[in-house]
Amino acid sequence: MADSYGQNCNKCGFCLSVCPTYQAQGTEDASPRARIQLIDFFSDHKIGSSEKLKDIISKCLMCGSCANICPAGINHPERYVRMREKMIRDHGDRPEIKSLVYLLAKESRIRMAAGAARMAQKIVPHVFAEKYRLGSIALKQFPVFNKVPFRTAARKAMARKPGKKSKGVPALKYGRVAYFTGCATNYLFEDTGFAVLDILRHMGVEVIIPETQTCCGIPMLFHGGRENVKSNINTNLACLDAQGIDAVIVDCPTCGAALKNDYPALAEEFGLDQDAANRVAEKVVDISTFIMAHARPQDFPQNHETIRVTYHQPCHLRNHMPSPGSAQGLLNALQGVEYIPALDMDSCCGGGGTFFYEYPEVSRGIANKKVTNAKATGANLWVTDCPVCRINLGGYLDDSADLTVVHPARLAAQFLPDLKGRKG
Amino acid sequence: MIDPDAIDNLKKIVGKDRCFDSAEQLACYCYDAYFEEAMPDLVLFPCTRDEVSGILKICSIHKIPVTARGAGTSLCGASIPAKGGVVLCFSKMNRIVEINTKDRYAIVEPGVVNADLQKALAPFGFFYPPDPGSMAMSTIGGNVAQNAGGPRCLKYGVTVDYVLGMEVVLASGKVVRFGSRNVKDVTGYRLSSLFCGSEGTLGMVTSIILKVLPLPESVSTLLVTFDDLDNTAKAVADIIGAGILPVALELMDKTTIRTIEEKAHIGLPVDAEGTLLIEVDGVKEACEKEIKKITEKLEANGAVNIEVAKTEDERETLWHARRSVYGVFAKLSPSLYTEDIVVPAGKIPEMTRMIVDIADKYKLLVGVMAHAGDGNMHPMIPADKSNKEEWARVKKAFDEIMAAAASLNGTLSGEHGIGLAKTEYLPLVMDEDAIEFMGVIKKAVDPDGILNPGKFV
Repeated sequence: MADSYGQNCNKCGFCLSVCPTYQAQGTEDASPRARIQLIDFFSDHKIGSSEKLKDIISKCLMCGSCANICPAGINHPERYVRMREKMIRDHGDRPEIKSLVYLLAKESRIRMAAGAARMAQKIVPHVFAEKYRLGSIALKQFPVFNKVPFRTAARKAMARKPGKKSKGVPALKYGRVAYFTGCATNYLFEDTGFAVLDILRHMGVEVIIPETQTCCGIPMLFHGGRENVKSNINTNLACLDAQGIDAVIVDCPTCGAALKNDYPALAEEFGLDQDAANRVAEKVVDISTFIMAHARPQDFPQNHETIRVTYHQPCHLRNHMPSPGSAQGLLNALQGVEYIPALDMDSCCGGGGTFFYEYPEVSRGIANKKVTNAKATGANLWVTDCPVCRINLGGYLDDSADLTVVHPARLAAQFLPDLKGRKG
Repeated sequence: MIDPDAIDNLKKIVGKDRCFDSAEQLACYCYDAYFEEAMPDLVLFPCTRDEVSGILKICSIHKIPVTARGAGTSLCGASIPAKGGVVLCFSKMNRIVEINTKDRYAIVEPGVVNADLQKALAPFGFFYPPDPGSMAMSTIGGNVAQNAGGPRCLKYGVTVDYVLGMEVVLASGKVVRFGSRNVKDVTGYRLSSLFCGSEGTLGMVTSIILKVLPLPESVSTLLVTFDDLDNTAKAVADIIGAGILPVALELMDKTTIRTIEEKAHIGLPVDAEGTLLIEVDGVKEACEKEIKKITEKLEANGAVNIEVAKTEDERETLWHARRSVYGVFAKLSPSLYTEDIVVPAGKIPEMTRMIVDIADKYKLLVGVMAHAGDGNMHPMIPADKSNKEEWARVKKAFDEIMAAAASLNGTLSGEHGIGLAKTEYLPLVMDEDAIEFMGVIKKAVDPDGILNPGKFV
């Protein structure tokens, strides 16, 4: 039967060829085609609601590769999100996932939780950090939380005059951009934040970091918190839809996908400011794409020895953003970077937001393959745009691996004159 | 209902993790890429030949139906467990055991995905020619069971032409091996060929020896448009008739092109009444010569535009679009009835007209797509199976299309197989004695009829 979205799956199986969970598990229930079948069975009352059904529908990385390849144009993620909501309503969710949905709904809660987590990281004895895991990742491999949120720290950096340290390279007069930092940069990866800031300012771009911005909402949406997302959308639209902003820069592909694709759709659904959502969506651009579009060679002069680099392409970049190849373009453009593509450069890392925590075994299987192939390139830097990919892949690199995961902006920033070596 | 003791024993063979028995998991194994469904009682994932043998011994004693499955991409319902019982899914038996380019063979387990084999062969400068549209996800075991083809089978032949040998577990659990690793082998009956296209009705294939070929030096792909479908079909017959043998010669009508373009947005000519996707391969100079000869034939038949794919990416985009056509048609309707008839290549123009006329007669939309070079045609009729009146018209149209193919000395299937879809049409192309002979063979190896029951034999 035609489902409520008017999308028909004729089971051609193309989705099997790109689905990370199907490929890791080798069973049909882990495939996009099967999830659609079960959702249809459920709506036709051929099967009832059950824990098992919830588990099958939830065991998905929400990477969107199925929708991207589907010849019939099925919007799998949208259908899964709806079904997840139903299943969570019927069977609840893990307390820690429920807590996450609660936390992400308010910036003050996120800030408090990040602070507490940083404290915990400091006081957890070394022996525990060695022994315990967060899902599939050893605690000792987990990144350290920022001392202060990046947006607070950035205010000081912003006080410096643009171009001050970049003598000899005249600043571009591109215009003004708003920087949407995402939670990961704000609380975990300030090195990415400073790199983005340094690059943009070096390019002569005026950067505004809206203070009231908050979590994009995607993690809540994926975990049944549709209603909770509303206020986040309103908050973010209010601060990003400012007059005179030429672009909204994102450093996280998932945030980018949210602002670009989900906000306009959700704004319509919730009756929010649709025009504002559309205006913001149009301006969203990831940092690598922005650099490729507006930087000049002299912005990134070669002043380093050759760095061997490989790359992991995040799913949300590949499947939701308009220029998914920009980071690789940047790697190829930087004089002094030797880019060695890994065999499975564009396959999922197994991180999937909280997937690595909820389904550690599946996640580990997927990530281990990626690590093996990345190591085989002989690279020292593993560049990836997505913070969750960075956490996940970094989580599998022990001390013996001469490989560090960084954001493309962090790599590019090393090439800025006078700014190299800045501690993030 | 399966004997509970038998179920326990079956579960013991594979262990808890490789056995599915919940309603939710079983629902994921009641379908393939055909539109019928039937629920299994149990899904088992063997990892070794001995496990397969053990499973079949138990099923044989308890007379439990066993249906083999790879990735479930069969377009004729061959892997649907029509009589319930056990689905034996080979997706975890997926090792490439050996690649030997010096002796030109590869040994694989049945669950190896076709594209993964291609990827593994490429660094050696070799390839495995059969390239079904589902090659990115379908398994070699499934390809063997269905004797799968694909666009480039015009020049290279279908799966059976590449199977040198195999290991098979019969219904009793007995393991037998046929053929060898030699590209030349005429020792006794070619039993491995008997199993190609047997759709899991004769035994479970657990290891396959495949012939592989060196990659051609050069490949060129042309996209040709016509403003008349009849001329498109005539150009195909002319090219083949002139003794030119491209790798692939794919025909698509306006409906097909428009439907693909709507999804893929790759700039396909949506106003063309007919298009041909033509590929040639071989030594560079030979390719150029072949393209020249093909171009003459195309122009003589009124081709409006001839474009050559400039890069490997462009070429892959065209082929990806072509391969996705079955899935793309799902945009048009909840169900898709697609067929796989074959007619002699010279009859392509006539058969094309007949398909269009039959669809018009029953007031149905039809997309005509064909591996036209070898006469293998895939008329596709999108409709709604839940609309009984419409579905009855679809059924009548296909009855007539089958009969029309048979009347042109054609046959029922070129590459998809018979499965649930075409059993009733067998008498159109096989006489009673031939059908009986298949039954004799089946009886000899599967006396209780437990292997894929409810299908064509």
